[in-house]
Amino acid sequence: MQEPLLFISVILRFFHLPVPEGMVGHTILAKLVSPHMTYTWFVMAILIITPKLTLGKLEMVPGNKQNFWEACVGGLEDFMADNMGPKRAAMMFPMMATFTFYILVANLLGLIPGFMSPTSNLNITLAMTLIVWFTHHFLGLRYHGFKYIKHFLGPMWWLTPLMFPIEVISNLARILSLSIRLFGNMMAHEILAAILFMLVGAFFAPVPILVLGVLVAVVQTMVFVLLSVIYCAGAMESAH
Amino acid sequence: MAGDKKELIRLMTDFGTLGLTMAGSVFIGLGFGYYLDHKIFDGRTSPWFTFIFLGLGIIAGFKNLYHMAKRKDF
Repeated sequence: MQEPLLFISVILRFFHLPVPEGMVGHTILAKLVSPHMTYTWFVMAILIITPKLTLGKLEMVPGNKQNFWEACVGGLEDFMADNMGPKRAAMMFPMMATFTFYILVANLLGLIPGFMSPTSNLNITLAMTLIVWFTHHFLGLRYHGFKYIKHFLGPMWWLTPLMFPIEVISNLARILSLSIRLFGNMMAHEILAAILFMLVGAFFAPVPILVLGVLVAVVQTMVFVLLSVIYCAGAMESAH
Repeated sequence: MAGDKKELIRLMTDFGTLGLTMAGSVFIGLGFGYYLDHKIFDGRTSPWFTFIFLGLGIIAGFKNLYHMAKRKDF
């Protein structure tokens, strides 16, 4: 959903860059300056600059700013350790923390007028989901070797021609459900807010939707990360 | 109490995927069968691969339900 006014696109158009009118352009340059890309870079800039500004150097007795980041990171690590054990949580932490902060900031960004959520584009969510999907199968192969493939072949050998396609399909469905859930929720919310703004914007009708949008943004972040953690933990556990 | 709440959230997330996964596996099966029929075999085998893989997709969706129903970790 293209919001009527995206201020990064407006600025880029001012410099005569070929910002596409729709979602995705045709040339490479137009693809690079399409809204979801520019807003992804904006989120990256927020995530790089904010900790740099607030965290000078780490102190033994944390001040306000350090306390905030310690609560975020520590809370996330505890949450992961509950689901996959402390050692594996420490191993998976960099990737999952990247996803968490990126998705959270990206979702919340869509609530501000003039910004859009990069996560309301299927390309972004599909890319993240593919990373998670390949990672959890790689971890499964790494931890169990050939036995991991064997667990795709069904309980009995003569059922293999039937069970293998079924297992592959139900695994591919994970990609679909994980990416479309995040994309659908964020895009639906943006469309709903935009339509309400056009129809009854004078009576502050979108405000309750924006309040719900905060909830949706946080819940969808949690769902995405929790499901990724559950998939990775399931692949690393002993095969059942 | 806190442990119960965490467990509830985890289970809700896990079971909340059921609907999308079921619909997704049906459509993945259908799409793959259609692709085999019309792109690989140029419509010569139509509609057989579509039906076979649609069936496999439906079975995969229900197998997922069955596994969720047989879970013993709660």
